[in-house]
Amino acid sequence: MRDKYNIEPSLIMHVDLNSAFASIEQQSRPMLRGRPVAVINRRTEHTSIITASYEAKSLGVKVGMKFIEAARLAPGLAAVESDPAKYRFVYRKLMAILSDYSPNVVMKSIDEGIIDFHGVPLSCSLVDIGHEIKKRLREEVGCAMRCNIGIGPSRFLAKTAAGLHKPDGLDVIDATNLRSAYETMKLTDLTGIAWQMERRLNAVDIYTPLQFLDTDVVSLQKVVFKSIVGRHWYERLRGYEVDDRTSETKTIGRQYVLERRDLAYAEIAARLHYLCESVGARLRQQNKVARGVYVYVKTAERHYWHASRMCQMPFYSDSTINALAQQLFFSAPGDAREIGIRCYGLSDDGNPQTSLFGDILVREQQLVGAIDIINHRFGDRTVHSADTLKTSKFIKQKISFGSTRYL
Amino acid sequence: MDDELFLNEQVKVLSVFGDGLNPCRPLRFRRTNGREVDVTEIGLRHPSARGKRMMHIFDVTDGSADYRLEFDAERLTWRLTREADHCDA
Repeated sequence: MRDKYNIEPSLIMHVDLNSAFASIEQQSRPMLRGRPVAVINRRTEHTSIITASYEAKSLGVKVGMKFIEAARLAPGLAAVESDPAKYRFVYRKLMAILSDYSPNVVMKSIDEGIIDFHGVPLSCSLVDIGHEIKKRLREEVGCAMRCNIGIGPSRFLAKTAAGLHKPDGLDVIDATNLRSAYETMKLTDLTGIAWQMERRLNAVDIYTPLQFLDTDVVSLQKVVFKSIVGRHWYERLRGYEVDDRTSETKTIGRQYVLERRDLAYAEIAARLHYLCESVGARLRQQNKVARGVYVYVKTAERHYWHASRMCQMPFYSDSTINALAQQLFFSAPGDAREIGIRCYGLSDDGNPQTSLFGDILVREQQLVGAIDIINHRFGDRTVHSADTLKTSKFIKQKISFGSTRYL
Repeated sequence: MDDELFLNEQVKVLSVFGDGLNPCRPLRFRRTNGREVDVTEIGLRHPSARGKRMMHIFDVTDGSADYRLEFDAERLTWRLTREADHCDA
């Protein structure tokens, strides 16, 4: 039983870009520096903010807030539409910098990475390396770029340390100062504890990270979490590594909030078709095939409708995904405000079992392969369905925060 | 909100090619209306592939507005594609 705190040396470093997208915009557009900036995905006042600069945050602007509300809080708030190509460039720069220090670098998302120094000969302390990374980021990307760095014996403690002093902090949490670090935090400051989990912990009289730390493993496992998750939290809080695992891709999907509420059925179906093409491209990019399609609609009254279908044969072409999705979507409610599609039942694109319709599949395989080659050569969506011709100006490629799969 | 102008203007650019992290540095450009803009800072330079054609995107400023210059590495041409003065910011 790991009752004591982990006394292993701190060899994990977590690097987190501060307000990443907003900082990159302030870097690339010097006139925005020192001003409140909100990065948005769509040029309307009712869109949600995906990142706010520290100047905007200090005025009360929060991620997820509607731009129109934020503009009231922060007069002069500049809205900048997200620019995925620029963010991908900075992501690659950051990854290249981190990879200079260890072969074991994992990018957890577009704006954060982990360096594992186990087995790496060190000529200076990790704190010195941290300062050097900050300096290199400013020199190699730009002077407006800042990052938080956390160092600890585990991924969790390193990430927690990175969140202690924002922006531009550098902190170490290990067995010697673990309690004092938790003392200054709220439960929801811990990665993985959101308000629902906080409520669950409050129900068993755990209100602070220190109380969480002092709860015995049996209570966590049998009473609070009722699963092995309780033991994981017990060890995680003590600085033992329980998060060194990679997650498998189980679904690939996309969603879209409709730009208007009065779109006709055919117009919504065309947007769904665009999403299907986008999902198909991602599926093939990952060398996966799917067997299931799931379609959902969120209505203006915030009702959630969904339908799914599992097929016997695996598929990966845009036309098959679209055909299945449109069949399901036919029975969707009319007052849609958001639509989405996911492919599930994923497996690697090996040689599928020979089918009675083998020649049809081979023809489809060749056609899809040829289209992918053309799109790769001349740019995304050089060849696409005529049905989606008018949708490109509304639906654009965006970057998700939580995954680096498509970067 | 709409402080950005989206353009597609061929411009003449005076630039230096040196070494270091940013080997190509645009210094000044002349717009089709004859106006000359002195670049005081390159905010960020990033490559962007249009299929197999590589564009180098320079986000620059002259101290009063931000501009985006795109250098087509295949055709060796420059275009001014954005201008933002942030006057409503």
